[in-house]
Order: sequence, then structure tokens, then C-alpha cells
Amino acid sequence: MANEQIFVGLEIGTTKISVIVAEARADDQISILGVGETPSRGVRKGEIVDMETVTECVREAILDAEDKTNVEIGNVWVAITGSHLASFNNRGSLALPGERQIEPEDLEAVEVNAKEVAIPTPNTFLHTILQAYHVDGNQNVIDPLKSEGALLEADFHIVHGIKTRIHNTLRCIESLKIGIEDVVLSSLASAQVVLSQDQKNYGALMIDIGGGTTDYLVYIDGAIRHSGVLALGGDHITNDISVGLRLPIARAELLKIEEGSAADAAGSQGGIISLKNDPRFLGCDVDRTSLETIIHLRVKEIFELIRRDIESSGEGMLDLIRGVMITGGCSKLKGIAQVAEEIFDIPVELTRARNVSGATQIFEDPQYSTAIGLTKYARLVTKNIAPESMIDRLTQGLGNLFKKRSP
Amino acid sequence: MSISPSRRILVGVGNAGVTVLDLLSVEYPGMTGLLAVNNDPDSLNASIVRDKIEVPEGDPGEGFRMIDEEFGRIVEGASVVILCGGLGGETGSFLLSALAIRAKSAGLTTMACVGMPFSFEGKHKKDLAVRALEKLEEICDAVVVIGNDQLSSGSPSIAAVGEAFALSDRTLLAALLALTGMLSTSGPVKITRADIHNVLGKPGTLTHFGFGKAEGSNRLHESLERALKSPLLTLPGKGSALKESSMILLLLRGAKDISFAEVQAVVGKIEQIASDSCQIKVGVRADGPIGSALELYLLASSGGTIKKPLKNSESNQTGEPSGADSANNPISRIGTMATIGTKLPQPTGEEEMPSGHSEGGKGADELFPVQTKPASKSGKKVAATSKQMQGTLALDTYQRGRFDKSEPTIVEGEDLDVPTFLRKGIKLNPPIRK
Repeated sequence: MANEQIFVGLEIGTTKISVIVAEARADDQISILGVGETPSRGVRKGEIVDMETVTECVREAILDAEDKTNVEIGNVWVAITGSHLASFNNRGSLALPGERQIEPEDLEAVEVNAKEVAIPTPNTFLHTILQAYHVDGNQNVIDPLKSEGALLEADFHIVHGIKTRIHNTLRCIESLKIGIEDVVLSSLASAQVVLSQDQKNYGALMIDIGGGTTDYLVYIDGAIRHSGVLALGGDHITNDISVGLRLPIARAELLKIEEGSAADAAGSQGGIISLKNDPRFLGCDVDRTSLETIIHLRVKEIFELIRRDIESSGEGMLDLIRGVMITGGCSKLKGIAQVAEEIFDIPVELTRARNVSGATQIFEDPQYSTAIGLTKYARLVTKNIAPESMIDRLTQGLGNLFKKRSP
Repeated sequence: MSISPSRRILVGVGNAGVTVLDLLSVEYPGMTGLLAVNNDPDSLNASIVRDKIEVPEGDPGEGFRMIDEEFGRIVEGASVVILCGGLGGETGSFLLSALAIRAKSAGLTTMACVGMPFSFEGKHKKDLAVRALEKLEEICDAVVVIGNDQLSSGSPSIAAVGEAFALSDRTLLAALLALTGMLSTSGPVKITRADIHNVLGKPGTLTHFGFGKAEGSNRLHESLERALKSPLLTLPGKGSALKESSMILLLLRGAKDISFAEVQAVVGKIEQIASDSCQIKVGVRADGPIGSALELYLLASSGGTIKKPLKNSESNQTGEPSGADSANNPISRIGTMATIGTKLPQPTGEEEMPSGHSEGGKGADELFPVQTKPASKSGKKVAATSKQMQGTLALDTYQRGRFDKSEPTIVEGEDLDVPTFLRKGIKLNPPIRK
């Protein structure tokens, strides 16, 4: 197959729909061939609310990508987000009668055990990501297949979400006669290109602030310990400005991009920002301190919510995080890193896709982290999984069976 | 009626209480010592509980007077009465307290398992429930409070209304099973009534409850994980509520083969979560057939996280004449029971127990005197602040802007679509039109 080394990532975002076409290179890196893009309509807070409109937008984005890259797009990897997604860590255990060598089937059985937890009825599993194996109380056994024991235990990070909402995304793409390789949690995709292996090992929090949602992911000792989605993003900042300063949404958005700053308004230079007349808007003067106050309070609140969520999801987890990486379109907001540093009290870095090559202007923009991350994720997963199990996986629909440690 | 061997009686009060007893009868057929009390004949007729008391419809106080004696006769000879029901409705709110007083004054250990209404059921219900709960906490030796709002906090927007109520009933049932299970533990690892009173007997505390059930090779991890996942074991923004608790009751119930190692593993895991000074009381009831499911129940409480609703001193500040509260309230002077099994202090003067001999029925409003509504208080406040705010933006308007029609982003009970500055009450300078 000529297309074997081409991966297409599709992100249906709240602000825009991006299609990244990338090629896997011999050295495991990916090279971006091009991007197709359309402004998004019919998506709120990361979820599809108007199927027909979204389908039309996706079609445009795909056509755009095909035009720009000269690649015919048949299958895509899709990012998924939304506040309906939830995650938890769970340990599965398996008694091995009469101490014997651990077989591959045992690894599957222990994963099945770990998934035997009650999730709400409307939900389905999206990811079951391996964190570590333990054999007879020996923690973090790298390759349990070679060891003998009486008790095999395994920790997993499990992500689940509402079936119908995930299906909405799939239906929208399928109606365009495009195949779906897999559905991937947005933050998991972004992390593939935003975080280096060292950072994952060392302990990192990645925050992807988009238009409708903020997705975050915690890596400790190379494994995912926590993930979350907040249905808050740049749109909320814009809305706050629009309500607070009585501006139309479009004007508020422009003001946010041109003059907005998340820094504490206590250090504001103050003064007046003059908004000019235009055909649909009567000009006015707005107070800079007020603008900065509105943005600062919202951004601070988002980080505080993430901090509290991490604190409550694992004792001491926050202490193991050594750095915060912020990406996503909204990370371009001035002063955002300082606010994060204040809240998390660890070094914060604004970041974007790295270790990729190709069309520079694309991966240098943090708003494409997720879509680019999808192609990297695709590359890692397809390399690790035998072709037949890929087919199994697809016939099973959403099930995600990682045989090796997930990327 | 036949009182169960352990001489405990479970009383389901109101529609919710009767539903819970029905669920219990289905799950544990042949269980004795169940009594359904309701003023809804349809609910009682449909119930499979054998012993029932129908409260005449109409004024709950009057109704209670009619059944008081019958109830007294039934509970005679029991040693523990556990009342169960939903607070907020006129029936449940009134009857639960009235029956609790009756049982307590008969010298019985009295406990209650109650559900607080969902906030969508309205403020009136909430107020009634809060007042009823206050009374119950004063009377009972132990009260388990299931906050329905907290229960559904996982996915409020998607749960169907019916599902939400069903979940609430199931949780009440589990709490009831936890209490009865703990009371029936015996042998070296047991939970005593004093332990239960220690954890659940203090007024104004927040009950933390979790339960999990699992079978098979992974039963231990699974049941524990499920129990720990309970939204009633989470404090918004603070993580596990077990951290805040000074004593945790843990009940393991299941097959005969529950091993020492399993009990130890569970305790070890909970110790990791709980604070260092926390005491963990374990009860094991291992009498089920080999291979049966393991049930794990956690009960704890913490104080001071939720402010006690208006007390006398506060209501005085709001202008209510002092003493009005206690004068209207026959049980307001009944102190908190210090120890299990103590008899009620003899009421003095005109404050008689609402028994068959008292001076007539008391309506719910009399039992729970209407306190000065906080609304009127805040009404004054708004007026005052709006004066100060002249020239600035009006901040008290509820504005979700473009998110008006989309699914709200609710975290920790707050609608986060409303701009942060509005929720925090920050003043802004208005734009100047040219």
C-alpha cells in the first residue's frame, strides 16, 4: 500500500476544524505535508450540536487538505473531547494458581479485570492505558512476561465517555465516506508532540486550552496518571468580555486577541482602549484594567480548577509534577504563563508541537498541537500493534487494546 | 409483627422510605422487622412489606396522633429502631421526626437514614428538609444523610429524572444495609453502637458514605474502588472526604472465606487515604456462601464543612422575637443525646412530647418553626449594594451570554458559564460610548 506511511489527523474543534496530513519518516519522526482548515460551526464546548453543519465543515476541511497536499484522504484519526469524558485509575489483579510463568493471555485477563468497574450506563470505554505491572508485590515490573509469580496486578488509566456523543463524531465522519482508524482523547494526542519522553518520565502536566474546552493530562514516571476535560476555554473569555464590557461577541473576540492579557490587573498600565466605529458597531472607549481583570479572573479560575482536580484525584500527585506545559490556541494569550506559575508554583512553559518536520508555520502554532499529535500517536500505535489486531480493534468499534505500553 | 432476631426494626417512612424497604425485601427475601409507614394508600397497597401503618391523609400532625399508639406498640420489645425516608416532603419531614421522638422516648436506640432533596425540587422542600434534619440530629443517636445533589454530581445533565431518584433510593438502601450490617457484626471484629454514635451522632456533620459490591477474583479491588468512587465520599475541591474524618467505619460483608489478608489490604488502602490520627473501626460479617459477592461499606463524617443552618442566635438577629422558636417547638429543648440508650430528658413545662395525649396535632410548620427567610435578608443587602454601585455595571444580573442555550458547564455546583467576575462580584468600569 502506497499510503501506509501517511497519517491523517482530524480535530473537530470548537473554533476550527483542522486536518493534518503527515508522513512517517524512517527515523520515527513525522513530517507534515500540509493542513486543511475551516472555521468550525455547530460545535459547542468541544461537542457537536449541529450535525449537518459540522459535517459540511469537515468536508470543506478535508477537501482543503486534499488540495494542499495532493493526498487522497481515505482514513483519519479523530480527536475527541468534551466534558462528558471522565477518567480514573484502576488496578486489576489476577491470581496465577501454582506460581507459573506469566503468559500474554494473563496480561489480557488482568486488563479485563481492571475494566470490570461500574461506569455509568450511557458510557463506553475510550482508552485503557497501562501504567505499570506488579508481580507478587514487586512494583513496576517492566516485562512481566518473563517473570514467574502467584499474583499479577496491573494499574490502568481508564478513560470513558458518553457513547452517543462519541458516536456523533463518528457518524459525522462516516457520512462523508471516510474511514476512521481510531478515536483518541484530545489531550493524549497533544501530549505526543508537546511533551518529550524526558518530561513524561520526570513528571509533567500538559494543559491544552482551546476555544471550547481545556484538556489536561498528567504524566508521572512515564505513565499517564490523570486526564481531564473542562468545558471552559477561550470562548468563555470572549463571552466574559462581551458581557462585562457590553460588546458584540465578534468585537470582544478581536479585543481579546489584540489587547487581551491574562496577567494580574494589579500590574496593569491602565488607560483607555479606543474601539473604532465600524458599520455594525458604534465605537466606544473601554477601560484596560477592566479588560485585564475579566481575563485574569477567568484564566486563574481555569488553572485553579485543574489544580484542585489533580489534588483530589491522587494524594501527592501534584508534588510529583515538575513542570507545566501549556499549548492550544488560547495559550497565545499574553501573560497566561505567569498566571499558571502563580497557581501551580512550578515552572511553566508555553509550547507547541516539537520533533516534527515539514511545513514550519503549521507546527509552530500551538493551536495545531492536537491535530499534529494525532498523526504522531497514529505512528506510534501502528508501529506497536500487529496488523491483524488492528483489524480486530476496528471490528470492535471503540475498544482500544494496547499490547505494549501506550505512547 | 415479628421483630427480627437482633431486635431491630427498620421503618420506611413516606414514599421514599417505603420504596427502599421494598427494594430491601426483594434483595433479601424473608427479612423480618420491617415496617412501612405512609399516608399514601396507593404506595402502601403496592408495597410488599408485610407490616404497614397507614397514616390518615391530611394534616400530618393530626395523622401522627392517630397512629402514635400503634407505632408505640410495634416498637415495644425492640432495641434499635432505624428510620428511613426522604426529607423535604410534608409527610417524610414531619413523620420521621415524630416517630424518632416516639422511639427515643421509649428508650430505644434510634437511628435514621435520610435523603435530602435535589435542588431542582425547589427551595421550599430544601428548607423543610434542613429543618427536619436539624430535629432528627437532635433526637437520634445516629443519622446518615444522603445528599441527592451530591449523589448526582457525577453527570447531572445526562441523568434522567427517574434515574436520579432511583439512584437516590438505591443509595438509601445501601446506607440502611450498612447500618444494619454494622449493628449485626459480632465476634472479635465488630462495630459497636457506640462507634456508630461517635461517627454519626453529632449534629451538623456531613455524612460520608461509600459502598461497593463485587465478586470474582478481583472482588477486593473492585468493591473498594467502587466504594471510594462514591460521590458522597468526595468533598468538592478537597478530594477524598476520608481525609477529614477522625473515625471511619468499615464493614465487609460476604462469603465465609473473606481472608485476614483481604481485610488487612482494605484497611491498608484506607489508611493511605485517611489522616494519620484517624481511627478505622472494622466490622466483618462473613456468613455468605463461598463465592458470593463481597460488599464493602464505608461510613464516616466530618464537621464544619457545611455550615449549620440558622440557629436560634442567628434567627434572633434577623428580628424574630427570642423564645419564639422554642415556644412553638415541642422538641427544641431536647438536648443532643450524649450517650447511646439514654432516656429522653423529661420535657418540662408546657413542652410536651407530641404523643397521643398531647394537645392536638401539630402541623409540619409548627414542628419546624418558620425561620426568618434568608431571602428577605439578602433582599435588604441587594438594596444597599445597588446604591453603592451607582455608576458601575449592575453585577447582580445573571448572564450566561452566548452560552445561554448550551449545556451549562457546572463544576462543584457553580455555573461556570457565568463570567467569573460576575460570580466574584468584581466591579468594572463601564465602556464610554462615543
